[in-house]
Amino acid sequence: MAETVPAVEIRNLLKDFPTSFRRQLLRAVDGVSIRIEAGEVYGLIGPNGSGKSTTMKALLGLVAPTSGSCSIFGKDSMKVDSRQDVGFLPENPYFYKHLSGIETLRFYGKLCGLGGKQLTERINELLALVDLENARDRRIGGYSKGMLQRIGLAQALIQEPRLVILDEPTAGVDPVGSRQIRDLILKLRERGITVFLCSHLLEQVQEVCDHVGIIFRGKMVKEGRLEDLIAIEDQTEIILRNATPELVAEIQALASRSGADCLRTGKPRTTLERLFLRETQGDDPS
Amino acid sequence: MSPAISASSANPPSSSPARGSRIQLILVIAMHAFTQLVRMKVFYFLAVFAVIAIVSNFFSLPQHEGPESLGVNVLRSIKSWSLGTMTLFSVVLSVVATALLLPKDVEDRTLYTILAKPVPRFDYLAGKLLGVLMLMFVSLFLMDLLMTGVLHVRTSMVMADRIAMAEAMGYTPVEITSLKIETLAQGPTWSLQGAVFAVFLRAVVIASVALLISTFSTSTLFTTIITFMIYFIGHFQADARTFFLQSDTPGEGTFARLFSLLLSLILPDFQLFNVIDSVIEGQVMPIVTLVKLTAVGLFYAVFYTLASWFIFAEKEF
Repeated sequence: MAETVPAVEIRNLLKDFPTSFRRQLLRAVDGVSIRIEAGEVYGLIGPNGSGKSTTMKALLGLVAPTSGSCSIFGKDSMKVDSRQDVGFLPENPYFYKHLSGIETLRFYGKLCGLGGKQLTERINELLALVDLENARDRRIGGYSKGMLQRIGLAQALIQEPRLVILDEPTAGVDPVGSRQIRDLILKLRERGITVFLCSHLLEQVQEVCDHVGIIFRGKMVKEGRLEDLIAIEDQTEIILRNATPELVAEIQALASRSGADCLRTGKPRTTLERLFLRETQGDDPS
Repeated sequence: MSPAISASSANPPSSSPARGSRIQLILVIAMHAFTQLVRMKVFYFLAVFAVIAIVSNFFSLPQHEGPESLGVNVLRSIKSWSLGTMTLFSVVLSVVATALLLPKDVEDRTLYTILAKPVPRFDYLAGKLLGVLMLMFVSLFLMDLLMTGVLHVRTSMVMADRIAMAEAMGYTPVEITSLKIETLAQGPTWSLQGAVFAVFLRAVVIASVALLISTFSTSTLFTTIITFMIYFIGHFQADARTFFLQSDTPGEGTFARLFSLLLSLILPDFQLFNVIDSVIEGQVMPIVTLVKLTAVGLFYAVFYTLASWFIFAEKEF
């Protein structure tokens, strides 16, 4: 079977930055390798200053690797052509304040070579997707943080890219906005679009990603399928609805007789986010 | 299914749109930069210019000629004030606008979103410069229209006054014709349009200098100050070159010539644009001078833009 071209391939990426006063070099990324297959949602997590954004910038050709290589669908990421298939949402994006939402999307669409009716239709679709139809003619300068992230996501999707790179997509966004962005990422995954997500919000990454990589002080310290990484192999979870105390006691006794240890019983808890969304949006807490 | 994200999944390998030509891309960025500057309300300056153009009717330059030159002084005053204001506006705006656009994009991270699209860095730079130049061109065109209009009306009035005076003083028809030609030379001539074009060319050169500085500068203030310094040094470049070329010290001739060549290449000679002064005096600007100015202006603009590209192409964000 022929090997498919990965959406993202980063090989032994190493990036040094010169420091201001000393002649010493600051190593931001140290031998990181990542391979993301088409259609995957990959989350790169790590604390602030661990090298996440530098890795993404190297992948987009915004910084040149000191050594190693990055490619997007087999194309060298330092070449302009590789950006044809990429949509990028930077951390805390500020778009041109003098443009309205629709003008912003038109500008980015034209940069991708789109125009005419095709572009107009695409803009209308995206404004509907990110729920900004009512703010389409409003200047970006008047947008809230969540709206800025959503128009940013729309511009990232304008040329129907096969790969979307999101750098801290929910940074500073309220829980409702954060949920909307998360749902958009899930929609992208459903449609087979590859997503490379960079965040330090672990719960969010856990909700949407298939694969994760943990980066710390520039080095990749752990990488793999999310399910494999977080599963506790020697434990089993049973969740029951409407179970009586007698049934629970019976199950515990059965477990004890078969030599298993019952570590904990009790009521599972919802998350604070789910509670918030239930109270403000009327969502199902389960 | 959401239509906005369904198309690419339907046919992923060929979903990329066809890229427009490089020129179209540059024009998209240029139009955007132009819109950005227009929405910064820079055209308010045109109202100030209109006031200056009208008020200059009432200013008087020192008059050394006799009473037969009555009125010509006012025409010179209109040209002098108008061209002076055009120069001030075009130089200040081309420096500030160019110095502002690049660092602002970096600071706001909008540059990331642009360069993350299939946009070559040269096209981005050329587009930004072209946007500033479009603003300069439109502004100078509007100011030129206003100046020409005011000058046309005032020339007609001066002409009527001078003919009346000449007839009262018993001038011959030949002398009156000569007077008419002399008066018309002080009005809206093609040389005056050439002078406005020279103002534009000077703005082109200074904007491309600002573009170069802004590619390695860390702040708008630094770019603005350095560009203005180069602008002022550029006015003494010709003198410095002459000084070095006249060096009589044996063995220094080759060095002086090389230094002079380097100086001419790096620093634009803004004294070349002083031909505007002679146009204000009513002299004709030869077409050769205009062609030479255009060639020099384009040479520096291309030279500085290419130098900007070499720096910007390697820049990391």
